[in-house]
Amino acid sequence: MEEENELMMRVTGLKKYYGEVHAVDGISFAIPRASVFTILGPNGAGKTTTLEILEGVRGPDAGEIEVFGIRLKRVTRAVKERMGVLLQDGNFEPYLKVKEVVRLFASFFKKALPTEEVLTRVALQEKTNAYVKTLSGGQLQRLAVGVALVNDPDLIFLDEPTTGLDPQARRNMWSIITDLRDQGKTIILTTHYMEEAEALSDRVCIMDYGTIIAKGSPRELTSRLGQETIIEFNTSSLETEDLTQLESYGKTAREDGGIVTVETENLVHTMEQMLAWSREREIPLTNMTVRQPNLEDVFLLLTGRRLRE
Amino acid sequence: MKGILRIAAGHLFTAFRERVTLFWFLIFPLFLLTILTLIFGNMGQEGEISFAISVVNLESNTAGPVDFAAIVEGVFEETGTASEEGKEPLFTLTHPSDGEDLEEFLAREKEALRLGHRAAVIVIPEGFNQELLERMMRSGSSPSENGAFTIYINEGNAASEMATSIIEQILSGIDRQFLAHVGRFQEEEAIPSETLWVGSGGEELSYVDFLLPGVILMGFFVNGLFGVPGSILFARDRRVLRRYWVTPLTVPRYLAGFSLGHLTLCLIQFALIFMLARFAFRATITFAEPMPILFLLLGAITFLTFGFFIASVAKTANAGMAIANILNMPMMFLGGLFFPIGGLPTFLKVIVYANPVTYLAEGLRMSLGIQGETFSIPLTLAVPVGWIAFCIFVASKRLSWDVKR
Repeated sequence: MEEENELMMRVTGLKKYYGEVHAVDGISFAIPRASVFTILGPNGAGKTTTLEILEGVRGPDAGEIEVFGIRLKRVTRAVKERMGVLLQDGNFEPYLKVKEVVRLFASFFKKALPTEEVLTRVALQEKTNAYVKTLSGGQLQRLAVGVALVNDPDLIFLDEPTTGLDPQARRNMWSIITDLRDQGKTIILTTHYMEEAEALSDRVCIMDYGTIIAKGSPRELTSRLGQETIIEFNTSSLETEDLTQLESYGKTAREDGGIVTVETENLVHTMEQMLAWSREREIPLTNMTVRQPNLEDVFLLLTGRRLRE
Repeated sequence: MKGILRIAAGHLFTAFRERVTLFWFLIFPLFLLTILTLIFGNMGQEGEISFAISVVNLESNTAGPVDFAAIVEGVFEETGTASEEGKEPLFTLTHPSDGEDLEEFLAREKEALRLGHRAAVIVIPEGFNQELLERMMRSGSSPSENGAFTIYINEGNAASEMATSIIEQILSGIDRQFLAHVGRFQEEEAIPSETLWVGSGGEELSYVDFLLPGVILMGFFVNGLFGVPGSILFARDRRVLRRYWVTPLTVPRYLAGFSLGHLTLCLIQFALIFMLARFAFRATITFAEPMPILFLLLGAITFLTFGFFIASVAKTANAGMAIANILNMPMMFLGGLFFPIGGLPTFLKVIVYANPVTYLAEGLRMSLGIQGETFSIPLTLAVPVGWIAFCIFVASKRLSWDVKR
């Protein structure tokens, strides 16, 4: 019972079909309070449709959503009062000022934070009187986050919040997200960046073809790969027997888009064999890196494809 | 209510900050009123418009009891003098200088006419004097049959054509005076006639008074048909509306806020047009009665809901503008705003009678006393209200916040 009280959202058997296409095909998951829950998946996996159903933009064909302890078929206005949403592709009126945008959105909610506080949270105080059309990409994204926070929501949806941002702006956004979690907010995040998902997420759910193929904490998911270490290098002249040879040095070996990935549980031994193979076959180990497995490797393990394909 | 007011304010801020919107909403109607009033409002009125003409009197014989040629020349001289100080005379006359050869003068003035420097050249014929009087007494014919005036005009010049009709009216008056002089016409026997405007309170209405309701309605019309779907559809295409969608804001609240902002914009537009007409062009109508106010409000709401209708059936902003253009022509030109609708073929009358502009224009002019009652007041109210209901029904069913996937 105590565990139930700690849940912000529970989704059961959610389905959404567009004709013959099963965009979302019976997914279920639970999101604890004060956590960052990340949905990962390639384009067309059903992430956006899932998010739009949870945001109340569209209704599901089947399934149930339980949020704030209320069971619903579809998200209602009362639920929206406690939610904040950052859309991936939404815009603002270019001829409004930053403060006018925040006040406009604040007026849609029964309870709202003061404009100054919202702009301080997203570090836009100096742009209060600037027109939207004059903001940079990073500033626009921060304004969008500010608008998502205007009602001081308990549940926040962030759909690809750092896409298109420079590294500094991305780090600033990460800082905002971790601050929100520390304040006890629950965040549902989608992203294309594996390092972002690993750095920010408490729980990750990986979707493919409308279904959930894995879920758990980033550590739990990557531990599925055991104690392996990943060795990667670039090449353009690998033959089938080379790949078979490399596989014999480690646990698995794959070539995908000119990148060769070898997994091993004995790094030193495998490296010695690979260097000898490289000299003998005269195949350079260009841009060779050694790293721990990440969520990309988990997806590769589960589907045989890369996330960004 | 807070959300509705903020949306209304946002709509106004955007309209005033976007130059294109500002031009079509506010500058264009003012410009149109100014241009139409300046071109047509003062046509033929002394003190406001002036034509440059030449009078060449070829009759040199001034002997006899009456110098007809001098009288005619005198009449034009009189019109060439301003009745009030500071006003332009109706005609600015050019004469041959003393001793100048008349044929040479005539040739030079005809060339000036061709170049557009003269509106007309009037030639009083030779023999237009005592001999003419004798011929008239003898044959019983009219002066115009006995000695024809020649009026040279430039056919491609609008000022020349306007001046001609005024000159012909003046000559007709002279004709009556001649006939009276020779005892063949009694002024008191003439059919009395007087031109009066039928206006509210019996006041004399100017052209600007007639034009003003039409320009105001046209302003509302352009705002509604182009401004409303433009704002909604461009916001939808740019995915501005999507952001509203994920908040508790409902479509009715959004439309209420948008409508409030739009009607405020119409009110500002009305105030500016009215002030321009009142203070710059001396319009006398005031709209300060319940019925004109009702028709103005009805007009603004009707065109606003037509805008909602277009926004609800168009998939993109460009499609919306195309639909607005298709509706624009029949609604604007088959609504009695610019010309009478009585003589139109039957198939066009169908459009006229279905067109809400017909009833709004008629109703507004009727309520201002500018026009007689063609339709009953209930009908002029009922047809636009019917269109409002239809447009709101369609918009409520079809208006989408997001671009179709």
